[in-house]
Amino acid sequence: MHITQAMPPTFKDKLSSDAFLITSEVSPPKGTCLSEVLADVQLLKGQFDALNVTDNQRAVMRMSPLAVSKALLDSGHEVVMQLTCRDRNRLALQSDLLGAYSMGIRNICIMTGDYTTKGDHPKAKPVYDMDSVQLLAMVRKMNQGYDLAGNAIENPPDFVVGAVSNTDPSNTMQMLKLKKKAKMGLEFIQTQAVYDTEQFKSFVEIADELKVPVIAGIIPLKSARMAGFMNNNVPGINVTTDIIERMEAAEEAVEEGLKIAAESIRDLKRLCRGVHIMPIGKHTNTPKLLEMSGIGKKNS
Amino acid sequence: MIISSGKSFEEIMELLKDEDDIFIVGCNACAAKLHLGGEEDVLQMCKQLEDVGKHVVGWVLPSAACSVASYDSLVDKNPDIKDAKAILVMGCGSGVSVVSGVVDVPVYPSNNTESLGGRSHGKVLGELCALCGSCAVHEFGGICPKGQCPKQLLNGPCGGSMKGKCEVDPEKDCVWALIYSRLEMIGRLDLLEKVWACEEES
Repeated sequence: MHITQAMPPTFKDKLSSDAFLITSEVSPPKGTCLSEVLADVQLLKGQFDALNVTDNQRAVMRMSPLAVSKALLDSGHEVVMQLTCRDRNRLALQSDLLGAYSMGIRNICIMTGDYTTKGDHPKAKPVYDMDSVQLLAMVRKMNQGYDLAGNAIENPPDFVVGAVSNTDPSNTMQMLKLKKKAKMGLEFIQTQAVYDTEQFKSFVEIADELKVPVIAGIIPLKSARMAGFMNNNVPGINVTTDIIERMEAAEEAVEEGLKIAAESIRDLKRLCRGVHIMPIGKHTNTPKLLEMSGIGKKNS
Repeated sequence: MIISSGKSFEEIMELLKDEDDIFIVGCNACAAKLHLGGEEDVLQMCKQLEDVGKHVVGWVLPSAACSVASYDSLVDKNPDIKDAKAILVMGCGSGVSVVSGVVDVPVYPSNNTESLGGRSHGKVLGELCALCGSCAVHEFGGICPKGQCPKQLLNGPCGGSMKGKCEVDPEKDCVWALIYSRLEMIGRLDLLEKVWACEEES
């Protein structure tokens, strides 16, 4: 007689359900100690369907996302390990993927990666041995039991694979690239931060045709200056004039930023499959944001 | 053509600080077009070196420094090379390498070699081609992303371009914006749909 214990649903299970997904992000430390990162996300335990772990984000050297993902798994979080094309050639990408799967990492999110000159080691050799579309194709092939060269992989992985996208539907080339990514078998898309819900609606129409669940990016604003800075310096972000005016008029800017983010989340909930919350700095205000948005569903 | 830039005279002097009886080999191909190795440039270099007390034994201007057939071919053009204790090549890295292969004295470069590019409408155009050995530039409207995109992306732009400009150098247009315009002009936007696999994929 078999005694079966119901396993909690995984991120993969939830992707194929009707659940509204909540993901967030963790930056590995520039150092060897994980206690601060683990303490920061302890606040979020049970609130998120998965936590992304960034991969030398903005080309700034930090601890390997492989190590941080493993530590988060051990602490009971589900993770999405990010993987860029910037720092590893095809051999290193594949061996890290096999290592990740062996450690229990099941979800990955693939991106090209900011250029080396943007980070803290501007003389680093940029690799880009493959682009994000080719990397997605390679993961699919590994899932099917073969490495890129066609050799058999024993006990192949079974990754859930996502990618990122900007959400400006008028950017024809970006949309075309997203279509190519979807052709490679995407299971989710996490987007750049959304502030323009109208524009996002048109983006979702395109994504709907691709039949890939969209998880919309959310970055709570902290000041009007931050909004202006992002508009001028962060590709794919469009903070609308009315939001900037609200931030300028606000007495408590951080509070207003959370309020705006919560309103966005309520709007986005009707438009897409989830939100991906990326606070600048620590997660101190994240539980509050979830509560304000009415999506703090996992407190029970 | 090979795109080079000239080293500063101070840097060249540093290279040649322990050398004298210098012979100069110019290059009448790419370097001459960039005013870094033609007759005028060679004569100017001779004068500059002599002004600082170096003895220049002579010079020669082969049609291309990278195609020098033999030591004898240089001697035929100017026998003074026999007195040279060092040679300064005013060409690209290939020219310096080829000349080094036919002489038995130290050879020094006066230029830094940068990329395979061209010159058109009076402008020097760098990094047009990545010398990948499997040309498919026609698939991209004659604008090669391997040569011109810093990330060498074949399947479309990265997320880093802003307002049609390159993430790496915001002064430059994103090469994918240029490819799009060009393919639109020649009525071949369909080419953008093609998914480019990794060469190794089987």
